[in-house]
Amino acid sequence: MEEDEFIGEKTFQRYCAEFIKHSQQIGDSWEWRPSKDCSDGYMCKIHFQIKNGSVMSHLGASTHGQTCLPMEEAFELPLDDCEVIETAAASEVIKYEYHVLYSCSYQVPVLYFRASFLDGRPLTLKDIWEGVHECYKMRLLQGPWDTITQQEHPILGQPFFVLHPCKTNEFMTPVLKNSQKINKNVNYITSWLSIVGPVVGLNLPLSYAKATSQDERNVP
Amino acid sequence: MAEEPQSVLQLPTSIAAGGEGLTDVSPETTTPEPPSSAAVSPGTEEPAGDTKKKIDILLKAVGDTPIMKTKKWAVERTRTIQGLIDFIKKFLKLVASEQLFIYVNQSFAPSPDQEVGTLYECFGSDGKLVLHYCKSQAWG
Repeated sequence: MEEDEFIGEKTFQRYCAEFIKHSQQIGDSWEWRPSKDCSDGYMCKIHFQIKNGSVMSHLGASTHGQTCLPMEEAFELPLDDCEVIETAAASEVIKYEYHVLYSCSYQVPVLYFRASFLDGRPLTLKDIWEGVHECYKMRLLQGPWDTITQQEHPILGQPFFVLHPCKTNEFMTPVLKNSQKINKNVNYITSWLSIVGPVVGLNLPLSYAKATSQDERNVP
Repeated sequence: MAEEPQSVLQLPTSIAAGGEGLTDVSPETTTPEPPSSAAVSPGTEEPAGDTKKKIDILLKAVGDTPIMKTKKWAVERTRTIQGLIDFIKKFLKLVASEQLFIYVNQSFAPSPDQEVGTLYECFGSDGKLVLHYCKSQAWG
């Protein structure tokens, strides 16, 4: 059996620092957020996404219920205008917030995230599932409660969705072993996030892969 | 049939011997695989067109993932990572629940929608794009 590739918290923070350095170079908006006592912290990114289509039916029902507006003109709206309203409501901005934290129990990074509409309404787990990339849906739905669940954020104490970390070490080990064979430096966070991020709508620009290469050239 | 296990066993050794990325490539070129019809354009239904639209990719297995005997494939520039994943899973006869990941630069997994043409421009060298693949129970 191959030796497992766990990482300690200091290593986690070092990888995050490298990751954030490149993020700032390309304007990708990741930043480090220390906890109150500054003993630990997490990596954070806020991302806005236009969502349409799948939300229409839900919002349509809501909009329909609110057809009777308090304005005088509301009562004169023909049916076509109601349809226009629903169509407009089908396209909406959603704010995604991604946090990367260190898990002491698993000794791996963990992806926490939450999503809300701009008025603050949080997305439900069903809405989250609709945002999962098509190629992962079939596999994830075989065990949905094992994969993405809602938990309390360890530092903020607020409800967040979590991509469960129990398999992280298992799928990271062969990747790290392969890179070590040819003496290539690998940023654990970059590699891990490129694998798990797309599952929940977080895609890393390709330059992160090249950033790792550039770091190697600097090593004497 | 007796030869097959030996050929399978040799491949990891040659990969392990490589100290650098370029060194890994050399052993492959010294032992060219016999061409097969499937190798020319995996999954592509269109008749062969402009060869410039095709990109040579070299597929390497990571960890205990099964090894494909044919390693060099010519694919359309617009082929996505997800398309390659589907192709490899069928080729290796992986079950639906097994997840397959493809990596550039040994450890970076591009988005499923990423096209190989873009990856080739960023990471290709010596006229080909090296991709590593690994199967895993990544979730749950």
